[in-house]
Amino acid sequence: MSKKTNLLKKAKKAVSVFWNGKPHEERRLGDLYLDKTGLYKHREWRGFKDTMYYFNMIWLYNYGNMVGDIVKYGGGLKALPLFLKGVWRYRWLGQTYLPVMHWYDRGLEGMRGQALRASAWHYRAMTSETIRQFMRMLAADQRLGGSKELYDRTPAHDETVWGGIFYPWRDRMDDVPLQMIPYFVTCHVNNHTVLNYIDAAQSIGLPGDPCPMCQAECGIFLQDDVPEYYPFVVTSNEACDGSVGTSVIQDWMMDRPLFAMPQPMQFDDPLVQEHCAKEIEECWKFIEEQSGMPMNMEELKKNLEEQNELQRFEWEKWEVAANTDYYPINGVAQALYRIYQSQDGNRKIWHETDKKVKKILEKCVEKKINSFPMTRHRVIAWSCAPLYYSHWCTWAYNCWGLNCIINMDSLMFNMTIRTDTYENMLKDMALYHEWAPMRRMAVGGMNHIFELWEYMEKFHCDMVMMYDQLQCKGMQGVHGLFEDEFRARDIHAIWMPHALPDKRTVSRSEIRGIINDYMTTIMHEKPLDPTLLEFDDSEGW
Amino acid sequence: MRDLKHLIRMEDMLQQANNELVREAREEGRKAIGYTCYYMPEVLLDLPGCFSVRLRAPNCTTPTMATYYMSGRTCHYGRSLMERALEGGFNFLDAQMATETCTVTCRFQEHLQRMNIIQNPDFFVEFTDIPFKKTENSVEHYKKQLQAHVLDKLHEKFGIDTSDEALLKAIEQHNEVCRLITEIGNYRKLAVPTITGYEFSVIMLTSLTCPKDKILPMLRETAEELKTRQPDIKPGWKIKVAVAGAENDDPDFIKLIESCGALVVADRYCYGSLPGREEIVVNEGQPPLDAIARHYLNTSCCPRFMPQDLMRGRKKYLADVCREYNADGLIVESNKFCEYWSYERTIDALIIPRDYDIPTCSIEKEYINSASGQLRTRFQAFVESVELKKLHGQTAKKAD
Repeated sequence: MSKKTNLLKKAKKAVSVFWNGKPHEERRLGDLYLDKTGLYKHREWRGFKDTMYYFNMIWLYNYGNMVGDIVKYGGGLKALPLFLKGVWRYRWLGQTYLPVMHWYDRGLEGMRGQALRASAWHYRAMTSETIRQFMRMLAADQRLGGSKELYDRTPAHDETVWGGIFYPWRDRMDDVPLQMIPYFVTCHVNNHTVLNYIDAAQSIGLPGDPCPMCQAECGIFLQDDVPEYYPFVVTSNEACDGSVGTSVIQDWMMDRPLFAMPQPMQFDDPLVQEHCAKEIEECWKFIEEQSGMPMNMEELKKNLEEQNELQRFEWEKWEVAANTDYYPINGVAQALYRIYQSQDGNRKIWHETDKKVKKILEKCVEKKINSFPMTRHRVIAWSCAPLYYSHWCTWAYNCWGLNCIINMDSLMFNMTIRTDTYENMLKDMALYHEWAPMRRMAVGGMNHIFELWEYMEKFHCDMVMMYDQLQCKGMQGVHGLFEDEFRARDIHAIWMPHALPDKRTVSRSEIRGIINDYMTTIMHEKPLDPTLLEFDDSEGW
Repeated sequence: MRDLKHLIRMEDMLQQANNELVREAREEGRKAIGYTCYYMPEVLLDLPGCFSVRLRAPNCTTPTMATYYMSGRTCHYGRSLMERALEGGFNFLDAQMATETCTVTCRFQEHLQRMNIIQNPDFFVEFTDIPFKKTENSVEHYKKQLQAHVLDKLHEKFGIDTSDEALLKAIEQHNEVCRLITEIGNYRKLAVPTITGYEFSVIMLTSLTCPKDKILPMLRETAEELKTRQPDIKPGWKIKVAVAGAENDDPDFIKLIESCGALVVADRYCYGSLPGREEIVVNEGQPPLDAIARHYLNTSCCPRFMPQDLMRGRKKYLADVCREYNADGLIVESNKFCEYWSYERTIDALIIPRDYDIPTCSIEKEYINSASGQLRTRFQAFVESVELKKLHGQTAKKAD
């Protein structure tokens, strides 16, 4: 009888594992990794439905679309040889494109149900937008024999210049940021690529201590690894001194018409707004002169209104994340999608994605689906994240039940832009632009840095993951004040040291070690999945 | 050369921010206004009733408390100022006129604003936003900022007269200081200069850190003295160099360079006189604040300026300075963790020798140069290489 019961139990469990996947504590995800590379020995069985979903709607669907997008955005089948030429010529291109699916795997590890679906749509949108941008670069690239007509209609700008500045020409031109794909996206997908650029910057005498993001951006130019796709360029001082320094070196390399559009540093001062608005107008004048195309105010207004729609949905997302347990987007998808979208500006793909995610979000709220049931702590991540380990949140949830609800970059652009009058529109655009990535709540004035406490309360978080970018002078310069505040407010905060894109300074494994130490020695907690505590992924993408 | 009469007293005054002349001025009831950057026009802080003090933290070698607040990975200068403030060394200040012109000094000043560090009940910190360009839009913005955050605040808090007449008076005094410093500095242009870089650095720094009216008599006497000063029969230097770069308020750094055989004849660095000691010109009918704003924006050669022509123009300015002061080479320095000058130094070291054929030595230093042994080796090697180049040049000329 007992044998029979045992067999029945085992069979029941096998059916349950087949259908639902293993319960969280029994997954042993760390056993799936190959040593050093972090590649999988075999894929995780997430249960029948989710495994099929992953295979069809994430793996196959995205591989198909990755080819489809090249053809779609590159102007037909002729885009395929052009893409191959690009891969051959530009180090970052192939190295970012080929391991993309592993980037999905890392970010979506252990996810189930609606969390898997909603987060994957965010990844899909970023992939598509990345392909659109680099195909535009290649199609206009004079070095690869690209179209001269497209070249004339593809202005370039620093990645910290908000794409919205070019809205008045989006019906005729397509602006492409210089470093968004070669640097920013690359770091997330394949963290080896950027090291070469950092070394290149240091090889001409730049010291190792300035922000490695700025160093890497310099290195891309020093290595002549930026396509020749743009007739003129708009630069910015954002977010810090290093960005200004980078502009200096880049200018010598680019050697073409350049408009510097610095933003005021004291952005809370009402007196600076008029100055900033005038800078935007001067920039528009420069673009008109360089392109020979007048502004289209209707196009500007249309794009701003569409961008406002994106913002309004973001607010809906925050509302659900802050006040319920039903938010279906994981920490890394939330952070990357939001920073990408808010900086890039209005694009069709964001609307398509938001529509899909909205459905999932509504379903989760309506049916009270908790996508992260093993949450032990609701975490808010503050300051600038390690780009080479943006998916730490996936690991932290799987290993410790630390659920990263929201992060600083997501909260940066907390505004819509009025379009009722020209003056209001310009005023709001100026403010939006001043709140540049890493500026408003990081290297900007102290007032906004400490908004952390308000957001902690608003999002009902009980723990802070305090990013400690070792080479960010702005954040290093307030280290002690944060320490004081954490103590005074009795807040559990884990300092996560990192060097933005450079994994050699603090490795992923060291970051995990720091979190593990805090969770065991301070929180006295046991891991949900002990196989994830220690593993070597030093050679991983 | 014969010793300059006031040099030792001036050296003494540089030993602490709250020096005897600052104390004297405060006893007279004047307000001490601190600042850190050239973008904060000192002339505005030298209005009758107050005086400017450009902050330094001499002899601060281990900023331990400041390192807790600002970590060990920020510029030593900013941290040293913070340390000095925490030690009570800036308690004489009545206000700090702050600028966010580089990250770490900004953070230092934000700490002054947020924490109760300066033990003076009237003390306040006011930030001014500084533009990155020199366009009309920038000038207008700068003027508005100076009016609202400097002049209006000084009037509101201390009752300082900020009328045009008062400004013109301050400009007059400021211009006299500039004239004298320029006159003194011009002796560095001679084939055999009659003033050393170290001496000039002490004089220049004194003019930045002491009340102007109190330093003027000494400057006048020094200028007079230099008219008849004779150079050494056998000068102790082998080459002449210009020094450019980041914040440097340490005359001993100049002394170190000179002890290696390189006479410093031009000082294009923060706290130096190039630019910094040009007279402010007020045209007829021009409001003095307009003249001041234009002057400070137009004369500045800070690497913070972003437009293409200014980025490139800075290199030419450096080359022109080297030629005007007959420098055989250029030393470009940056403080460790200074991002602006890390980049500027790197590009200077590539462009200046390539486009202007000026030998360039690029070094990274600390605020207080405890690593002088390493720097000495670098400077000695540079002096030798420039000397060799000169010798080769002479031999080639003879052969022609």
